[in-house]
Amino acid sequence: MLADAIRSETYRLSKNRTALFWSVLFIPIMGVLLATLGFVVAKANEAKLAGKLPPELMKGGPLDLGLTLVKSAGDFANPAILMFVLIGAATIYAGDYRWETWRLISARNTRPNLLTGKVVVVALVIVLATFAALISDVIASLIQAAVFGRPVTFSMTGAAAADFGLLTLTSWARILQFTMLGLLAAVLTRSLLAALFAPLVIGIAQFFLPQILLPMGVTTDGWLLPLLSPGLATDLLKAVIQGGMAAADLPDHAVVKGVLSLALWIGVPFAAAVVWFNRQDLSKE
Amino acid sequence: METVIDIRGLTKTYGTVRALDGLTLSIPRGGVYGILGPNGAGKSTLFRTLLGLIRPTEGEATVMGGRIGDPASMRRMGSMIETPRFPPFMTARQVLEWLARAHGGVTSAEIDNWLQRVGLTEAANRRVKGFSVGMLQRLGVAAALMTKPDLVILDEPTSGMDPPGIQEMRALIRSLADHDGVTVILASHQLQEVQRVCDRVAIFNKGKVITEGKVSDLTASGERLRLSVTPLAKALSVLGDRATLDGDVVVAAVPRAEAAAAIKALVESGVDIEEARWIGADLEDVFMSETGWTGVQEQNRAG
Repeated sequence: MLADAIRSETYRLSKNRTALFWSVLFIPIMGVLLATLGFVVAKANEAKLAGKLPPELMKGGPLDLGLTLVKSAGDFANPAILMFVLIGAATIYAGDYRWETWRLISARNTRPNLLTGKVVVVALVIVLATFAALISDVIASLIQAAVFGRPVTFSMTGAAAADFGLLTLTSWARILQFTMLGLLAAVLTRSLLAALFAPLVIGIAQFFLPQILLPMGVTTDGWLLPLLSPGLATDLLKAVIQGGMAAADLPDHAVVKGVLSLALWIGVPFAAAVVWFNRQDLSKE
Repeated sequence: METVIDIRGLTKTYGTVRALDGLTLSIPRGGVYGILGPNGAGKSTLFRTLLGLIRPTEGEATVMGGRIGDPASMRRMGSMIETPRFPPFMTARQVLEWLARAHGGVTSAEIDNWLQRVGLTEAANRRVKGFSVGMLQRLGVAAALMTKPDLVILDEPTSGMDPPGIQEMRALIRSLADHDGVTVILASHQLQEVQRVCDRVAIFNKGKVITEGKVSDLTASGERLRLSVTPLAKALSVLGDRATLDGDVVVAAVPRAEAAAAIKALVESGVDIEEARWIGADLEDVFMSETGWTGVQEQNRAG
């Protein structure tokens, strides 16, 4: 039954080219285009810009695609990706209210299955967006190498591969967490706009939360701040994975705080959405 | 009588409005069952309740032997509630493919077959965004039927269709009941259509069933005597409030058992009877008398 819900939601999304383009392809395509433009402009003005741009951009030794992948996995859950993945997620979560199609499918499966199916498909969209972003970063690196005549290498040690996997997983979880607020907003308000804007507003509030709470003595040394701010929790996890300087001032139990915060911000909105949706009258979608 | 739907005291309120008001109804297995009623009578609310889209405030119902919302029972039902809507970016075929995946067990060949049965083969690869209401209705009917349900609920299935489309839909509904053994429940404002296609009907008003039975029984009970008489005023006076004037003939709501006495009274009063014949009531008469009369009475009482 859950498999049917996932299959149908996946099929519908596959026909929604607009949502797929904006949520999966737009940022990677723009990333490649803007990076290419930047490289070409920098190359054309190489003499003028000498000393003004980071030397590793134009000069230097071989360009390591392995390092590019690890860096890309760590940076993936950035605000631009969060916003554009949210377009696809909001369409999936609020689409049946917007198109008044709950009446067509709610009799064909159970409500928890239908919502879970949507979340699974959003999780898959994030995987697709991750691959697209990784590929675009690799392409941009290759263009950089071609423009500046740098050789390309690929090295991925066991530790780097583990970092890459863990950073990818952390970024994926952070984006999924962000979209879960869209799920809850969609079910509570039956509105696509709410599914889009509620996570943005909450995300902005959470971004500024440390600045508000730090003067009050609330820091990442305690539990409250990481649990209230999943973005901060993600940063803690990334610092643990990357190690080095980033991990120098980590608080105690950083991993537990990070994992718990993401799990709570994924699990609680999902559970609330399922409970509410189970009781919801669909007299008017 | 084996039933597919048993409803006991079903009530649904929206604020102070009672969309369903202690509704009790049993719908037998097999045939086509019509639900009639003016706008706001509770037809769509009943359908949405039976499909688990909304929760009743009070009362209970079983559908195909299971409680409302029971997944096994729901999977044996097909439905089309009001004008169906679909994701606008999908084609007609994609809509059916999508719903087939949600349900499971429907092949592409069956989808092609249903597109053909509802007359949408040529439009199968067109986006539904450009469909007329009638085409959306056809697609909605195909979506309701493609899973081979035992029970189908159709809310205004011919709304927005042209006359040939209505005729085709009527034939399809009868064929489902007669050849495929499907129980069809339909709501419609088109009373002639209901009379032609339904075996039994229930007439709703203000969230309650006000009359229910076989179409043939309901229309037979509304038989009236049509009298060509002179003088008209004298005849109307003799028959009292049982008679109305329809042009230059008197129409009398007289039971067959009392007809001879009524005619005798007219003759004895000096009324000349040129012609007397029985005319049957149609469903529209029954509907108007059941819903219109009730409404007038309540308005008078309230006034």
